[in-house]
Amino acid sequence: MFHTFHRCRTYLTLLASALLILAATPFDALAQKDSPDIPTVSNVVAIQGVRIIQAPGRVIESGTVVFRDGVIEAVGRRVDIPYDASVIDGSDLSVYAGFIDALTNVGVPEPKQQTGAPPSVPDRSNPTFERAGITPEKDVRVLLDPSDKSVGAHRKIGFTTVHTVPYGRMLPGMTAIALLTGDDAASMIYSDATATMFKFQGARGVYPGTPMAIMAKFRQLYKEADRRNHLESMYREDPVGMVRPPYDPVHSAFIPVIEGDQRVFAFTDDALEIHRALNLKEELGIDMVLTGLSAGFDAIDRISETAVPVALTLGVPEKPKWAAKIKKDSLDQILGSYTDDTRTATFRDVEAERRNLEAKQLISRARYLGMPAAYEEAGIAFAFTSYGVKTSEIRSNLREFIEGGLSEDAALAALTTNAADLLGLSASMGTVEEGKIANLIVTAGDLFDKETKIKFVFVDGHKYEIKSPSKSDDKDKDKDEDERRDKDR
Amino acid sequence: MNTKTVYSVGQSLLLLLFVAQFATAQNVVIRNATVLSITNGTLENTDVLIAGGIITEIGTDIRAPRGTQEVDATGKFLMPGIVDAHSHIALSSINEGSSPVTAEVSMEDVVNPYHLGIYRALAGGVTTSHTMHGSANVIGGQNETIKHRWGVTDPDDLRFDGAPRTIKFALGENPTRTHGRRASGGTGAIVPSTRMGVEQVLRSSFENGKRYMEAWDDYHLKVATDSRAIPPVYNGRLEVMADIIRGNILVHCHSYRADEILMLTRVLADYGVRNITFQHANEAFKVAPELAAFGAHASVFSDWWSYKFEVYYSTSYNAAILMRNGIVTSINSDSGELNRHLFHEAGKSQRYGGLTDDEALSMITINPAIQLGIQDRVGSIEIGKDGDVVIFDSHPLSVYAIPEMTFVEGKKYFDRFEDADDMRMEVSPTAEIGMYEGQITGRDRFNHDGEIINFFELFGQETTLNFEDN
Repeated sequence: MFHTFHRCRTYLTLLASALLILAATPFDALAQKDSPDIPTVSNVVAIQGVRIIQAPGRVIESGTVVFRDGVIEAVGRRVDIPYDASVIDGSDLSVYAGFIDALTNVGVPEPKQQTGAPPSVPDRSNPTFERAGITPEKDVRVLLDPSDKSVGAHRKIGFTTVHTVPYGRMLPGMTAIALLTGDDAASMIYSDATATMFKFQGARGVYPGTPMAIMAKFRQLYKEADRRNHLESMYREDPVGMVRPPYDPVHSAFIPVIEGDQRVFAFTDDALEIHRALNLKEELGIDMVLTGLSAGFDAIDRISETAVPVALTLGVPEKPKWAAKIKKDSLDQILGSYTDDTRTATFRDVEAERRNLEAKQLISRARYLGMPAAYEEAGIAFAFTSYGVKTSEIRSNLREFIEGGLSEDAALAALTTNAADLLGLSASMGTVEEGKIANLIVTAGDLFDKETKIKFVFVDGHKYEIKSPSKSDDKDKDKDEDERRDKDR
Repeated sequence: MNTKTVYSVGQSLLLLLFVAQFATAQNVVIRNATVLSITNGTLENTDVLIAGGIITEIGTDIRAPRGTQEVDATGKFLMPGIVDAHSHIALSSINEGSSPVTAEVSMEDVVNPYHLGIYRALAGGVTTSHTMHGSANVIGGQNETIKHRWGVTDPDDLRFDGAPRTIKFALGENPTRTHGRRASGGTGAIVPSTRMGVEQVLRSSFENGKRYMEAWDDYHLKVATDSRAIPPVYNGRLEVMADIIRGNILVHCHSYRADEILMLTRVLADYGVRNITFQHANEAFKVAPELAAFGAHASVFSDWWSYKFEVYYSTSYNAAILMRNGIVTSINSDSGELNRHLFHEAGKSQRYGGLTDDEALSMITINPAIQLGIQDRVGSIEIGKDGDVVIFDSHPLSVYAIPEMTFVEGKKYFDRFEDADDMRMEVSPTAEIGMYEGQITGRDRFNHDGEIINFFELFGQETTLNFEDN
């Protein structure tokens, strides 16, 4: 009962926020949706004579995909086209399952960046939770905004589903699965908060500021929440004569994690963070997912052993400044010149050392670009996350990974089937199959080719025609007018 | 079959089992060296066999098992790997300077095996470091004792297994400057701003820790008979204070002045804590008999002072005076540069204090090992101890001495003749190359691709506070 009461509080907050959003939505939009009028456009679509990549490695060279009310009705070589379908000629086109982003801020308007010194606090050893970056109770569902430019930008390159989380530091908040379509926040939401996020990002100027304090604070919150959970269950059983258990939203937000109802998506950039997060996982017995892996090559063995689910970053390191204007061939030559046995008198020949260091830096970069390939080779099924990555760079980064040895099938799996598995969405998303949600990408050419244009993206059956960001190389300008949504399907 | 044969067969079997168990560890025999055992004098023309990471034989013409690596050390000196009782290498963060008490944080959580400081330490013959929280807080974090297994990437693989827990305390100017000054780090001044305040912080932390310990002890008693007993609020910080009171954690305290050193012994005595090593302790010589009576240890610099007001009253005789007063004394580096020549530092203390060779070398081997509670494992060349040894080209107390090879558990991690210019495990793919030039001298100790978080940088202001070392 005690517990329910708290839940109620959360829901009241949610409801209030939802009402606010509703109040901000023009009424005609709502009216339109509930209108009993006969639709002007059919809600059945058939893409005919199209190359269908049902799943990585499963291709129908020429077939038809039919979907109705956002659900795929038929996929195959010979499929009858329903009389009421609006037909798209798919010759020279390919259809793929829409991408799923394993963790991102997409859909959440970005808060203004704080500049300069953070505001002063009375006692930096004991800041408020908010100031300390500890807001696990923050629910992303009330923060979503379908008109945020990140939604269109992400959709334009093929993402249809995102696992999204509030902006923030150590514990930014609870995540939700959202579809990149809808007129308001509520209609974007596919499913409840299923996870909370955790980062090794300290608060500015207050406790916890360093990774070691973040580790300590995590243990503190977890163990105290565990105690309160125990007290709450005692209170539910019999409150008579018992002091009311203490309550605050932060500790309460941890209780689903303790109960095993909520996973922790840890953002771990490199091997050190991976080991640190896994140490916490093992020590406290947390159901954890590692995300954002960028320099994770040295932790492959441990990841294999622990079988922890992972989502690698879609970001690549920028080229070092000195290399920015050097052509690829020359860079390859520099890289090849590296020796691990330089012997120079440093004070005499700094230049030789510098050159070797530049080559070593290129090798380092190559390891980052080759990381998804290394994970594929190690047999680790991984998803991709765009957390902290510019959407406009994702397609070219994917090509860098493929050039680094990642197979196109593995890349597609990471963006579709593996991500669906990771997020528990496999029953409804991730492939082009009967019964699944009509989240589709229609391209003119192979998905990962530099020249390939994305023609349409369907989200939940809603058609978005992608006008001319076209070539994947073009930097996304986030122009909403580039993309037109067919309002009535 | 006589008894003797049975015995030797049994022994061989045992040895076989032993070797099989450590099949991955390297076996090495170092031949014909002048062995500076530290605890058992100097042994001329002696072989030392390390099998399965452990010193298994010391003698002449040792028969080594098949596959053992042979090292000829004729004319060279073999000493135990140097133990540095005060270091800040191999860490991603050093000071959680946001609070005067941060007992709950632990360097164990932020060990960074990629840090070049590990390799540099090996090049100076150092095989074990006590890598510590900084001195910004009165009660800083727990420290970590590591072995320099350069090349591993899992931080836990550097751990000195079985080493006792230790914690950093700090007295005097650093904590008062960090916390007691208005606007330091975008916040108002808080306690402590004076040495009195430092004592107050210590006493209230111990008092709270004691109450916390009692509350939990009380709860554990109650819950045995009453399943509805209420557990006290969990507090990670006070858990650690309670563990100090229980005697489970060794205290290592940054300190300079005699008065504050005595103050801490009184505070500790009030809470029954006896395990204390005073770090730096430049004025410890003034209270040497008192420290000896308390059973305190000291870990000092040979001749480093005057870098701030509280360190003006110092002497090169400090180490020798402490030692002659029966205090377990070590020489530490507190620096990723100085740790490369701790043998010189020991030599300086010998020069000023008239110590014997063994006394001087004990200050960088067995004595720091005692202070860290690892004297059963390292700090001398004895059968059964870890195979952590270093070969010098000449006597390590000579100013000409150069370490040539350094072994940790029988595995060679440094060899002067296989020492390429660039031994970094990794470089950042994006960093300005110029950033690495600062690493040439080794003076900048915490330069892991900017990954090291200087807490004070987080305040968005330039800071002169740099308490990692002194």
